[in-house]
Amino acid sequence: MLAISSTSLSKTYNSGLFRRESVTALSNFSLEVEEGQIFSLLGPNGAGKTTFIKVLLSITFPTSGSAAILGQQLPNVRVKSNVGYLPENHRYPGYLTGEQVLRFFGQLSEVGRSDLDSRITKLMDLVGMSKWASMKTKKYSKGMMQRIGLAQALVNDPKVIFLDEPTDGVDPLGRKEIRDVLKTLKDEGKTIFLNSHLLSEVELISDRVAILDKGKLLKVGTVDELTSSGSVYSIGINSALPASLKNEMNTMGLAWTEGENSIQAEFRTNAELNRMIDLLRSSDVEITSVIRQKNSLEESFINLLQREVPE
Amino acid sequence: MKFLALIGQTFRELKSKATLAVLVGISTIIILVVLIGLSVTETASGSMLMLFGNPVSPELPFDKMVFLVTEVQSGLANGLYAGLVLFGVFATAGLIPEMLEKGTIDLFLSKPIARWALLSGKYAGAAVVVLGNVLYFIGSLWLIFGAKTGVWNLNFLLSALTVTFVFACLYAIVVVLGVVSRNTALSIIGAFLYLFVISSLLYHREQSLYLISANGLYRGAVDGLYYVLPQLSAMQDNIARQITNGTIDWRPFLQSTLSSAVIFAGGAALFSRKDF
Repeated sequence: MLAISSTSLSKTYNSGLFRRESVTALSNFSLEVEEGQIFSLLGPNGAGKTTFIKVLLSITFPTSGSAAILGQQLPNVRVKSNVGYLPENHRYPGYLTGEQVLRFFGQLSEVGRSDLDSRITKLMDLVGMSKWASMKTKKYSKGMMQRIGLAQALVNDPKVIFLDEPTDGVDPLGRKEIRDVLKTLKDEGKTIFLNSHLLSEVELISDRVAILDKGKLLKVGTVDELTSSGSVYSIGINSALPASLKNEMNTMGLAWTEGENSIQAEFRTNAELNRMIDLLRSSDVEITSVIRQKNSLEESFINLLQREVPE
Repeated sequence: MKFLALIGQTFRELKSKATLAVLVGISTIIILVVLIGLSVTETASGSMLMLFGNPVSPELPFDKMVFLVTEVQSGLANGLYAGLVLFGVFATAGLIPEMLEKGTIDLFLSKPIARWALLSGKYAGAAVVVLGNVLYFIGSLWLIFGAKTGVWNLNFLLSALTVTFVFACLYAIVVVLGVVSRNTALSIIGAFLYLFVISSLLYHREQSLYLISANGLYRGAVDGLYYVLPQLSAMQDNIARQITNGTIDWRPFLQSTLSSAVIFAGGAALFSRKDF
């Protein structure tokens, strides 16, 4: 079953005098997220990432299109029993302690009284907040608020978890701990939907990634698919290229460059790659490695957005 | 359980605010003044109620003591009950706008609770807190009057429920204003305006609004408004009547219940369609 699906989802905000000014936050946005995955939605500020989550949670209503969580069409209050949410810039009442925050939102999430105590203890431990459970949240640092927010999102043992910038304000060690928590949750079969600006982190934990800009889906795929630079290979060699071979490569029409003990070349087909290897071998050039080139997720993200700019 | 959790959280929220402390503080000061200052002086021909040694009632025969005490209680009610309601509004008006703030409302709306239930929980929480303070205030005065004069006017104690009812009607308006404007100050101003100006003008329309025009359509519209909106000025008269002779005019009671329910439902419908 799909954990999350949306079909031609659009959202336009009207504002200003007589609501004449309109901003399109989502435009025909269709997406499917399988159960048990860590799925990340990337995009520049104002791309529509948070709006998408808000529409899924019926915090905002779509202008058109439809969406479903765990196969149940939205809006649907009942489905929220299986959903956890950590909003960006969340605010907890300063007069409540961390433990009281979890208890209150646990009660609102229909967690039974008998389960709630053990659940709170377990979650406080999981997010490393046991020592500060009885401290009022107004005394918490940003990082502590994020941790308690994550615990709050998990208080009802949800099947689908939406996290909007979960590591915002968290130190590097804390970020690693949160990543570990997310991996554990994934191993338990939970679906995690992540909005984050920290692409290096997204790259480390995501199964699939979607890139969104100006409310439109630009690309979706695995991290490998998104970071692959297509058919560019680096071929390691341990001797200089003979001039005859260079001529042959030019005749083939390849885009290539020679580096120190390597050749970078873009091949249109696998046959071209194999022909190249044959040429190198027949010229007695020893091949030490053949590596398909990859960009970082950040490079892929920037490249993709820059390609979209002219539109 | 969700509803009770909301009421409990609303109580904690109000407890953390200075406004509720001020409300309880003022109530306590008035209770202490009455406790320390109220006394009954008996003379050869009757009794007088005294406050810090000064008479606050004429000298009346002993058998008129019940009448005397209920009249004083009624006078006290006229002076203080509007204050109780308004301080209640002042203490609780921020609940809705604060719940609607970015970062807070997202958390509430992500939980499996219908929007109307969320609003109702906040509304009920505010009403429970104000009922608690009104019961504390009127219950204490009832005990002091009973202990010092021997007159245990149960209607005075029951008037706590009527005062809370007036608050609940006014709070329905505060909730709608809070949902529409997301602004505490506007909600308070709107409530004060309704209680002191609109409701009062409509209640006394024959001596006020009727004077503007004798046109039948105009006066019909004024009458229509009076019968459509909560009749809170009439309810204040009802409180005085309840204390002095134990009778209540049920028409403004029923009409205010109905119109406040409609106003609240309108607010809930607006809230249910709003984007956050």
